[in-house]
Amino acid sequence: MNRVVVTGMGAVSACGLGVPALWSGAVNGDSGVRPVDFPAIENQRVGTAASLSDQTLSDLSEALKHRMRDPVAVYAVTAAEQAVAQAGLGEGDFGDACGVVVGSGFGGAKTLDDNYFTFAVDRKMRLDPMAVPKIMMNASASWVSMEFGATGPIYTPSTACSSGSQAIGLAYQMLKSGAMQRCLAGGSEACLVGGVFRVWELLRVMTADKNRPFSKDRNGMTLGEGAGILVMETLESARARGAEILCEVVGYGTNSDAGDLLRPDPQRASACMTLALQDAGLDPSAVGYVNAHGTGTVANDVTEVGALRAVFGDTLDGVEVSSTKPIHGHALGAAGAIEAVVTIKALRHQMAPPTINFNEVDPKVNLDPVANTARPIDTGAVMSNSLAFGGINASLIFARFDG
Amino acid sequence: MASEKTDLSQELLELVAREGMVDLSEIKPESRLEDLDIQSADFVMILMALEEEYGVYISVDNELTDVETVQDLLTLAQTKIEEHQKEAQA
Repeated sequence: MNRVVVTGMGAVSACGLGVPALWSGAVNGDSGVRPVDFPAIENQRVGTAASLSDQTLSDLSEALKHRMRDPVAVYAVTAAEQAVAQAGLGEGDFGDACGVVVGSGFGGAKTLDDNYFTFAVDRKMRLDPMAVPKIMMNASASWVSMEFGATGPIYTPSTACSSGSQAIGLAYQMLKSGAMQRCLAGGSEACLVGGVFRVWELLRVMTADKNRPFSKDRNGMTLGEGAGILVMETLESARARGAEILCEVVGYGTNSDAGDLLRPDPQRASACMTLALQDAGLDPSAVGYVNAHGTGTVANDVTEVGALRAVFGDTLDGVEVSSTKPIHGHALGAAGAIEAVVTIKALRHQMAPPTINFNEVDPKVNLDPVANTARPIDTGAVMSNSLAFGGINASLIFARFDG
Repeated sequence: MASEKTDLSQELLELVAREGMVDLSEIKPESRLEDLDIQSADFVMILMALEEEYGVYISVDNELTDVETVQDLLTLAQTKIEEHQKEAQA
């Protein structure tokens, strides 16, 4: 079995372009949530989302003109470019040895939304002839593979909020088993369009106020968008290239609730975290920080903290738990990847980013989630959780690389 | 004022019955939603109807998850509708 390491990271988020902008937002509690306005929604009830800033959209304006790429693919390719640059991968490092695993929850949402409007509202038959290849869920992964000439295995997990985490987990398992030497892995989402936003409103899980994970007065999540991509490779490959190793991927667990489509199951979530710990060969006490799924919905937060207590002990001594979703939003299929980037930065800086907007401990949850201000940690391993609709759980463990 | 409140209660009761697909005659304020077989999907339908008819957006919060009986739901909806109307006037 190969050891697997991370040698590059890229991010596109409401905090800006690049990992430094994302980490700076996360650790300083500087939120990318801003007002959003969808002209197609009459009486829009929820007025905010962690959308890309005008500056970011302006920086990406040339890339966004691509006639065959929905924004979701543009974000994925942009994050991949950053990750590849940091890893120092050259032309000869791709080919069959390099795979691509990029997940998404909604695929080409803008293309779908725009074309339905033209078709059903304007009754026009002249639609975007490239709509099919722009909408398809695997378009982001395919564009990333084409951009770099990565001709190894390619997959697109579409498992709602676990897509990004499962992409990284799947890449890790394939690298570990020797199916490839390198991989560009993560998730991308560009879901902030009228039709998608309205159906999220109808599900009543978005807050019309502020996203406050674990806080007693929490009343829903805030949607986000963007992409996170990691360059992952076998230790052998990284060493052969003389690459700087950012961290080691040591554990991955994933399982299914086979229960309710929407309601999470604490026992399955704790079983998932335990799987990841067993895979890593780590005692729970070795993990000093957990980047929680922490959506800020009533159901998720109660379930997740219950699951964390079952794994890490009732008092959660020695482990800091926070949710950075109020900063970068809930980016659905990109969430696990964006949060993996934040989690790895937390490990490297030995700093737990805060859960901002936190007002009051909820007796049902009874957790102080690194409330409002970052806290130093002293740990060799960190965990990131995703608990998706459909009952799909995924936990990743990253560890400091000590040779 | 009292009759306005009664009217709203009656309207809400009808709305819960319609959206929860329960016969109005079976619903009593003290009935437990669970016993009426009103589940989370019905809840979402009820909240959508409240938005359509009263313009109030109710997301799922701690108060809503504490709701057990039809009366709990009516009281919560009434409070949110009144809050919303106050805000709209302000």
